[in-house]
Parts: sequence; C-alpha cells; structure tokens
Amino acid sequence: MGMRVSNEQSDSAAETCVATLSKRFGGSDVSSTVEHHSNSFKMAFVRIHCPPQHWPAVAKSLRFDHGANYCSMVTGTHYPDGGADRGWEVVYHLMRQPVVDQKPFTNTVHVASKLTGSDIPLEFEIIVTLPQGDEPSVPSVQNIWVGADWNEKETWDLVGIRFEGHENMHRVLNPHDSPEGFHPLQKQHKLRYHDFNEMYDDAQGFGRKPTDEGRVK
Amino acid sequence: MAQMWITMGPQHPMTHGLWTLRVKVDGETVVDTEAELGYIHRGVEKIAESRDFTQITPYCDRLCYVSAMTWANSYIYAAEDLLEVEVPERAEYIRLISAECQRLASHLMWLGAYGPDIGSLTLMTWCMRDREMFLDLLQELGGSRMHYNYPRIGGVKRDIPVGFANRLIAKVKLFEKRIEEYEMMLDESTIWLVRLQGVGYANAEDMVNAGVSGPNIRAAGVNYDARWAHPYSVYDQVDWEPAVEKPTSVKGADCYDRYRVRMEEMRQSCRMILDAIEKIPGGKNTNYSNGDEMILAKAPTRAPEGATGFSNYECTRGASKFYIQGGGDSRGKNPYRLSIRSPMFITIPYVAKTMIGYKIADIPAIMGSFDPCIGETDR
Repeated sequence: MGMRVSNEQSDSAAETCVATLSKRFGGSDVSSTVEHHSNSFKMAFVRIHCPPQHWPAVAKSLRFDHGANYCSMVTGTHYPDGGADRGWEVVYHLMRQPVVDQKPFTNTVHVASKLTGSDIPLEFEIIVTLPQGDEPSVPSVQNIWVGADWNEKETWDLVGIRFEGHENMHRVLNPHDSPEGFHPLQKQHKLRYHDFNEMYDDAQGFGRKPTDEGRVK
Repeated sequence: MAQMWITMGPQHPMTHGLWTLRVKVDGETVVDTEAELGYIHRGVEKIAESRDFTQITPYCDRLCYVSAMTWANSYIYAAEDLLEVEVPERAEYIRLISAECQRLASHLMWLGAYGPDIGSLTLMTWCMRDREMFLDLLQELGGSRMHYNYPRIGGVKRDIPVGFANRLIAKVKLFEKRIEEYEMMLDESTIWLVRLQGVGYANAEDMVNAGVSGPNIRAAGVNYDARWAHPYSVYDQVDWEPAVEKPTSVKGADCYDRYRVRMEEMRQSCRMILDAIEKIPGGKNTNYSNGDEMILAKAPTRAPEGATGFSNYECTRGASKFYIQGGGDSRGKNPYRLSIRSPMFITIPYVAKTMIGYKIADIPAIMGSFDPCIGETDR
C-alpha cells in the first residue's frame, strides 16, 4: 500500500515550528501562522510575514533551526495600485526534506507514518512586502541556499526586484542585450495584440505602433 | 597546455533542446562550465495574466512537450487550492492513471534519447515503439497525441472510454516484460556500463541544497517524493513504493544510479496503474457522460483579491510547483500573477557544475542522465 504524511503529523510539525518562531521573533514585525491548503488533503504549511530588514535572520533561523533545507521557488509580484506600503512583494517557498548524508551502498527509506519531529516534511511560505518605488530591493539568500541562486536571477530578470548581495547577477530568460530596466512581468507592460498581416510584414515588431489601446486585456 | 572556452550548443545533441553550455577545457578535461538558458522563453507567466483559469491549462500542457499531462495536472492542483474545489474520487483515480502513463512515456523518451548519447541507437527505436503504446492510451483520453488539455479544475474533461481499461491492462502488462528486456540489453552491455559507471557523481545533501529534486535525488539514496511527502490525489490508496537506489560512492550517485532509479520508477508506475484501474470507484468499464458529478465537480471561476494557492507536484523530472495569486483582470477571472517552478531550471546550472573534473566525452553522459527538458526550463 502506498503511504502519505498524515494531517496530524503535518499539523503538529507546523504548530511546533510556529511556536518556536513566535518565541524567537516575538517583539519584531515577523508574524507566523499555521495555514492549510484548500485542495485534496488540506495539508498544513507555515506562512510567515516578514519585513525585508529581518529576512536574513529569519532565513538563517529557518535553515539551521527548523531544517528548511530546500529553496523551492522565489516569486516577485508588482502591485502598482497596492498603496504606499505595498508596491512589490517577494514570496519564498521553502521546504523541509528529511535528507541525510548518505553512506555508500546504503539507502534511507522513510516510512511516512514513522516520521516525527523535524523529520516531517513541511512547506514554508515567506511573504516579504516592499514599499512602492522604482528600485525594490531585498537581501539575497544566495549564501544560505544554493538553490536560491537561479531563482533570484530569474526574479530580477523578469520582475526587476534587486537582491542585495547577490553575486554574478545576470539575465537568464530574457536576451542578454535587453535594455536596462526592462522587466516584462512588471504591470506597465501589456500584452500586444496584432493582425496576422502585421505579424508577417514585420515579424520583429520594430515598426509596430501601439495601436492596441482598448484591445489590451 | 593553454585553457580555452568552447561552446556546446544551442544546436548540439547533448543539450536535448536549445541551450548553451560553455565549457572551459584544459586539454580533454573540463575545468569550468557555464549554462546559458532562455532560448525558447515564451513568457507563459505573462500570458497567463490575461487568460482565465480554464484557458491556462493548454499553456501548461505546452510547458514540457514530453510530459504534458503531469504539467497540466500540476497547474490544476494549484488552481484547486486557490479556488477551494473538492474533486470526486473517480476523477482523482483517472488523473493518477493518466499521470503515471505520462511518466512512463516521458521516461521512455528519456531512455530513448539517452541511448544515442551513449552510442546505442537500438535503444531509441525500442523506446519509441513502447512509448507509442502509452501515447495511444493518452490519446484515447485527451484526443491528441502530445498536448491533451485533459484535466479540468474540479475533475477531468471526459471519462475513460469503454474498453480503455482492458487495453490499458494489456499494454502495461506487456510493458512490464519489456522493462526486463531493456535491462537485459543494457545491464550486460560493456559500453553502457563503462560510459555510465563512475561518472557524474552527485551527493544527496548537495543536490537538495542546490534545489535538485525527483528521481535525481532518489538515485542518491533518499526516497523523498512529493507523492507521499506533500500528498495529493489518491497515491495513499494504491499499491506502490518510491523507487530508491543505493549510491556507490561517498561522492553520491553516478549516471548508472540515475538510470537504475528511472527503470525502477517505470516498474512502480506500472504497479500503480494496474492497482488503480481495479480500485477505481464506479467501475472500470463504466463510462459517465461529460460533466457528470462522478468525474467533474462544480468550481468557481473567480478568485478574490488576496487569495493565493500553491501546490507541489511530482513531475517526471522532479518537484514542480505553481503559485497563483487571485484577483486579476476580468473581475477576478484571471490570475493576478502566476509563477511556475520548473525543476529543470534549477537542475541544469547545478549539473553544469558537476561536470567539472570529467572529460569532454563524459558531458553527454552526465547531462543526459539528469533528463533535461528545455520546454519547462525556459517557460
């Protein structure tokens, strides 16, 4: 029979984690809650709201105290209408994986129902809100998770959020000669619609005029 | 001898797609590498902001052209998290079967492409022959060979056709025997062993820190798998266990371990499919009409501002993830932001660095063993 981590296990892991985090970051603006998914098994995860100046401390605590050894995803979002305090948002998704340093000719087969304490896989969602402005920036966590390296590169490339202290930042998905300051996932860039003849006569789009006002979704 | 940079790609058989590997060599030895991606960046994340939740599914199919079904499912689970949908159990079973068929087809495509990398052209023809069986099965469900647009938010597009179960069982049972044929051909082939063993070591802890996931870390001896660790669907009800290999060195898993783990994973997929088709609620030879509540639940079409949803999914190449923020244009029908985690986008830069110290001739063997797919990498 197949197996899975049970809801009780994930609830208890998330609650332990939130209790420790609240104790450690009690007086600051860092707040953590236990949340639940709304699909299939309604598993628990930890959601943390964190101001940018506390993010490196929280990241180190998650990595070394709570075993979040896996940086899954970094998402940047642009909120041009979000008010003065919320112009940009960076969301980190981290995971805890029960991985050990494997000896040769052995393997570790985890049985989900027997995992306890900090071996229970857990998801973390950290939301860092940045104020309105032309140059949003957040401290880099490249030195804590190697996996954050290319995630941060992608977020800068597409959304334009600067990661302070990130080494070797460069374009990864856009062409290397993209104009400085061009980050296509910012909301001022709209999708263009055009007729087929424009597409064939001017495939590169150099002569295309922005006649798509009103047709932009 | 002077060191020099050489460029492999974007058009090179090693790349399995379009990207560039810049290699710094000293004679025949690789001393530094650099990966360059982005050649087929389509901007799916931007396009999704002007489509409603149903219209996004076909774009997710096209993220990876050899495992369309798992990517569409991956998006659907995140959308269901956002829209708070309960899915009927029969639909979950159908999704499981379709995803595992896709995993078989994808691993066969990997093996078929890896064979010519190593020098075994026979392998390609054999794998394409067997992959066709599973593409036919998926075609019965989705209507087309590669991009199915099959899962829906709240269920699946249509029920399994009459007779599908018998064809599925016959083909999977035949394929279980074929896996043994592959192993007989490969595990006793000196060329295969010499090219794969002792090449491309990668350690489990390093890989997790670098964000590598899926079969690649299971090859290094740890059975971490999103299907049990961050559960979804009905994987807890069917008979299977995660495939896991024993690494042969302190340096971790080599190319041969990664080949072995995928062969084992194909076996486990077969086991899962055969068990799931017998346990499917409502019966395996019943055909419910489109939109019946057994296969499709009602789902809202709008998400309020501030609502978010994300979900882990074990894709064929590792753990994929979608993160969706609701409350976009068309009064909430579109997502405000849709973000895609691609396992290969993180893995390829890591693999490029593991090649350091090996010979140029080992590069195709190392790269191919991690199963790169550039469609999902560049999105």
